[in-house]
Amino acid sequence: MDISFPYHIKLCFPGNLEYIPAVRKYISELLQISSFSPKFAYRSEIIVDELCNNAVNFGCRAEDARVELECTFFNDRIEFTIKDQGGLKENVDKLRSSLDSPVSGSDSGMMPHQGMGLEIVRMLSEKLDVKIDKENLTSVHVVRKRENSASE
Amino acid sequence: MSSTFKIDIEELSSIPGVVIVRFQGSLESETIGAIEKIFTRVQMGDSVFAVADMGSVNLISSAALGELMGARKRLIELGGDLVLAGVILEIRTKLNLMGASKIFKIFNDVRSAINAYKWETGKKSEQVELTFPSNLKMVPAVRQLISRVARQKGYGNRDSFRIETIVDEICNNAIEHGLNDSNLNIGIKVDIDPDKIEIDVTNISDPEKIFSLKTHLKPEEHLEIQNDERRGRGLMLIKMLTDELTFNISEQGTVVHVKKVREE
Repeated sequence: MDISFPYHIKLCFPGNLEYIPAVRKYISELLQISSFSPKFAYRSEIIVDELCNNAVNFGCRAEDARVELECTFFNDRIEFTIKDQGGLKENVDKLRSSLDSPVSGSDSGMMPHQGMGLEIVRMLSEKLDVKIDKENLTSVHVVRKRENSASE
Repeated sequence: MSSTFKIDIEELSSIPGVVIVRFQGSLESETIGAIEKIFTRVQMGDSVFAVADMGSVNLISSAALGELMGARKRLIELGGDLVLAGVILEIRTKLNLMGASKIFKIFNDVRSAINAYKWETGKKSEQVELTFPSNLKMVPAVRQLISRVARQKGYGNRDSFRIETIVDEICNNAIEHGLNDSNLNIGIKVDIDPDKIEIDVTNISDPEKIFSLKTHLKPEEHLEIQNDERRGRGLMLIKMLTDELTFNISEQGTVVHVKKVREE
C-alpha cells in the first residue's frame, strides 16, 4: 500500500535524554519511506534532536515528565510540534532569552555554547514558533519544506 | 575554607534511601573536612544512595574529588552509590581528563539521576506511546524504534531482536486484519522496566472480521495451524517469543497485549 499524504504520527516518551536517539532515527526513517531525500531526513533529524533535547533539559520539571512529539507529513513539507510539561522558571527564562537574542550573549545567564541549537533549527526550517504559556508549558512548532531536487 | 563554599543535604521523603547533597561554590582542598562530615551524616542516616548536585560548583580540586571518591566507596560498601548531577561543562571536561567520569556516574540533572536510581531499583517503569497510520510501510520504522528503546534501556541484542520481531508481527496483523483504511491509526503502548516489557497494540476492527477473529483467537484454545495452512504462523511465533499473549476484541477495536520477560 502506497503512503498517502498527509499523514500524522504522535509519539509520547519520558522526559529522559536516552530516548532521543531512537526518536530522531524513527523520524528520519519515516521521512525516507515517504520519499524525502536522505539529506532532508538527516537535517530533520537534527531538528528533532535539538527540540527534544530542549524539551527534556528546559521543560521537564516533574520526575515523571513526558515529551510529546507530533509530526504531520505532507507531500512537500513536514511539520513538527513538540510539547513539554513545563520547566523550572529559570530554565524557561533561559529559553526565552535564547529566543529573544538568537545567539546567546554572556548576560543571558547561559553557558557560551548554549542557545546555538535553536539558531540551527531556525536555519534549517522555514518556520519556527515557540509558545510558552503561563504555567511554563512550552510548545514548539516547526515547518520544514522539501528542498528542490536540484539542490539535493 | 573558601567563603563561597556551601554544602547541605536534602532528604527525599518520597523516595526512601535517597539523599541529595547540594554543593555550591569552589570545592577546594580546605573543603574536604566539610565534605567528609556531610557524608558521615549521610551514612549514619538510612540513605545509601546520594546524588551530588554540582550545578553551582565552579571548581573542584583533586583533594575534594578524592574525598568524594572515598565517600562513594563507603556508600557502595553499604549497597548504595554516589552519583554526580548537573556538572557544568568546564568541570565535566576536567573530570574526564582526570578519569573521574569512568568512576562516577554523571547525570544531566538531579531529576535524571533519581529517575535512573528508580529505574535500577525496579521502582519505576517507563512508557512510550505511539500512533501511526494503518499502513504496512510504517512498520519497519516502528519496530526499530521499540527495539532501539529496549537496547537503550539495557536489554541485550537477543532480547531486543525478539522484541522487534514481536512488534513487527503484531503491527502487521493489526494493519492486515483491522479496518482497511490508511486514514485510521494504529496505537502502541510500551511499558518497559528492568525485568520485562509489555506491549499493547490497538487497531480499529473490521466489522466483517470480528467474528472470525473471535473464533480464531479463543483464549481457551491452543493456537495451532494445520499442515496445509499457509498463514497463521506469525501468531505462533509471537506465542513462542512471549510470556503472555492476550486479545481483547470488540467493535471499537482489537487490543493485543504481550508481555516479554527479560532474558539476558
